Amino acid sequence: MPPQEETSGELQRRKARFLRGMNRSTQRLLADIEADERRPAATDRFLETMRRAFSAGDEADASALFRGKKVIGTYCIMAPEEFIYAAGAVPVRLCGGSHEAALAGDELVPRDICPVVRASAGFTSFGLLPIYERCDAVVVPTTCDGKRKLGEALSEFIPVWMLEVPHIKEAERSRMEWLDQIYALKRRIEKLTRKKIKRKNLREAIARIGRAQYQARRLHELRAAAPPVVLGRHAMLALNAYAFDTVDEWTEAMTRFNDELDQRRDDGVAACADGSPRILLAGSPVAFPNWKLPTLIEEMGGIVVMDETCMGDRFLYDPVGVTEGSMTEMIRGIAARLIMPCTCPSFSPNEDRMFRLKQLAEKFRIDGVIYHVLKGCMIYDFEVARVERMMKEAGIPLLRVETDYNPEDVEQLRTRIEAFVEMTGTKKNEVKRDPGEVLCGN
Amino acid sequence: MRLSSLRWLVLTLSFLVLTYGGLIGIYLGDFLPTFSCWYVGDARGGDCFLWHVQHHFSGHGGPGYIVRPSDPVLLYFFLLILVLGKAWCGWVCPFGFVMDVLDLIRRKLSVGYVFFSQKLRKRLAPIKWVLLFISLVVPLCCFPFFMRSQIATDLGQPYCQWCPAKYVAPLFVGDVDEIAINFRSGMGIFMTTVGLAIAGLFVIGSLTKRRFWCSFCPMGLVIGLCRKISFIKLKKDCQACTRCGICYNVCPLDIEEIYTERKRTNVTFQDCTLCMKCIENCPEDNALRATFCGMTVYRATQKGFFSDRDALGPKPPVETEDNQTDEASADDREPVVSGGQLP
Repeated sequence: MPPQEETSGELQRRKARFLRGMNRSTQRLLADIEADERRPAATDRFLETMRRAFSAGDEADASALFRGKKVIGTYCIMAPEEFIYAAGAVPVRLCGGSHEAALAGDELVPRDICPVVRASAGFTSFGLLPIYERCDAVVVPTTCDGKRKLGEALSEFIPVWMLEVPHIKEAERSRMEWLDQIYALKRRIEKLTRKKIKRKNLREAIARIGRAQYQARRLHELRAAAPPVVLGRHAMLALNAYAFDTVDEWTEAMTRFNDELDQRRDDGVAACADGSPRILLAGSPVAFPNWKLPTLIEEMGGIVVMDETCMGDRFLYDPVGVTEGSMTEMIRGIAARLIMPCTCPSFSPNEDRMFRLKQLAEKFRIDGVIYHVLKGCMIYDFEVARVERMMKEAGIPLLRVETDYNPEDVEQLRTRIEAFVEMTGTKKNEVKRDPGEVLCGN
Repeated sequence: MRLSSLRWLVLTLSFLVLTYGGLIGIYLGDFLPTFSCWYVGDARGGDCFLWHVQHHFSGHGGPGYIVRPSDPVLLYFFLLILVLGKAWCGWVCPFGFVMDVLDLIRRKLSVGYVFFSQKLRKRLAPIKWVLLFISLVVPLCCFPFFMRSQIATDLGQPYCQWCPAKYVAPLFVGDVDEIAINFRSGMGIFMTTVGLAIAGLFVIGSLTKRRFWCSFCPMGLVIGLCRKISFIKLKKDCQACTRCGICYNVCPLDIEEIYTERKRTNVTFQDCTLCMKCIENCPEDNALRATFCGMTVYRATQKGFFSDRDALGPKPPVETEDNQTDEASADDREPVVSGGQLP
């Protein structure tokens, strides 16, 4: 039954129940991360960001972040944040990762759709968090089927701006249509904020996001270090925190974080044993607080050296490249950066993703790939066969893990991941021993 | 120094030498693979090879003149192409400099540029072939049939009559005589009228489209045909490329293949002027590089990309706060916390 048809008393009770559950699981996760002595000290700021974002009902905390500005929610990575900042508003990335919110969303969207969509629907329909409540509008790119219909479902509660993403990005015609969409969105943002986006402001916004992107790329490089200087789940927390922070504050925190990791690398401080199997976490997004998979992998002795997901490494990887700063050029640059390098499987053909994964596997000296498929996420599941074939050619084992936000299957997953990590570990150490053995034989 | 500044420096020097070099006795020869225009007069520091080809083909010495053993200009011409390849277009061509200056004016006015779609680019591609055909075949026809006739004289350098450089380049030495219709004969009227129209189109085109004329240039076509054997090449590591398309956006010639290419290493395409903007603006380490005889001379770096954009440090710009105070509409905004610190 849709929430609005119930009596408000019952609605409030259910909302309170979801909130209690979410608070409990989020606070526990945050406390666990905080207690982890391997975490860089600069994680503090990201923990604080998450705590503030997930402190249900505490309106004051969320307002502090937005400082009275207009807030525009975004889904996926195709929403042009540059415009939002240039218009003096603040973007928040809303793709949800909470199990309780996913349960709440079941009443609005099909149960078979992926938990990201269910959780996002639940957050908005029940008004679980001030960060969702505060949004003046949300941008929903039409990437996968789930997101496309999510937009429609959300429009009951909040102004929704659909952003039609072309699925064949190679075609020049789709690029032109995309550019039209971007222009239209710019006008909508200007109308909402009642402020014309000027050249100077847009240039500045591109530069601000560029600084954040540079720090994200620094982290990318640092994660390639051997022995690893940071645990995957801490790096992923840092990247996820961008969703709920403003760009300048995040960049500052991220610079400190990277500086600390730099220091660690110089001092030879490792976040885990050098022999730990280096795992590439690919596939469906891992959105906070769904920390199930990275935690399991790293508890079982692996290390997530890279996460190829749109909430992780891909989130802030691709910069705007403009040279002259005319409005036309900047908008073209923004439009291009949002879809051209994007390896979201909603694009078809998506050969770019295979290139990217292959490159990551080489650069990060990957020992094994754990391919995350959120239940109902068809498009990532579609590509698993091709990725597996490609990894097989490179001699890298792949484990497909299908799960959702429900903590019930944790123990079952633990067994599978333990076996996989152990297997890759054995293989890795065998490969390492090999040359030595040949010498002995001679 | 940034590569684009270096290119501006080289291009400016080359413009000065090739346009005014004659005044201090510099003359580099009549076999230059650039638009160093003959019509500039004695001040020029060298000659466009195309003028000489047409001049000789149409009767002054005959076609054999350019390969005579005592002065094999054709050989010199190809040797120069071999060494620099398309870099002649991006780094030396004085007419390229004129286009870049016009483009700079557009940029200073903060006006966007016209963008040629791939379809349009394909449709326009034959024009340079037609111009090359005109510059080689028409003079040859004049040679046996109309030698010394008025029509042959007026058709003597048919391409030059249509080349915008003939009308624009002399302006730099204060010569406005070329901006006129030649009334000597019907042919003269026709050729100069078309030529003036093209020159007008050139000025408007260059003010709205980056490197407007390069897509039509027959000299560029000849140099481009030798791109496989030229020493300077543009190379791509297709594995490192993320296909972000920045190279395509910054390319003055709108070459799409530079980012779509997924197999070949050599990406010096026909229209490429080797301006190397794509390398300078590529955010991936080693994804694009320029080689000279196989040696890498310049390569793309991530750090270079971000340092050009002043993005290496976290510098929340002062303007951010201006933004808020300037534009805040009174109704729904709280006062800005000074210094922008979070409570």
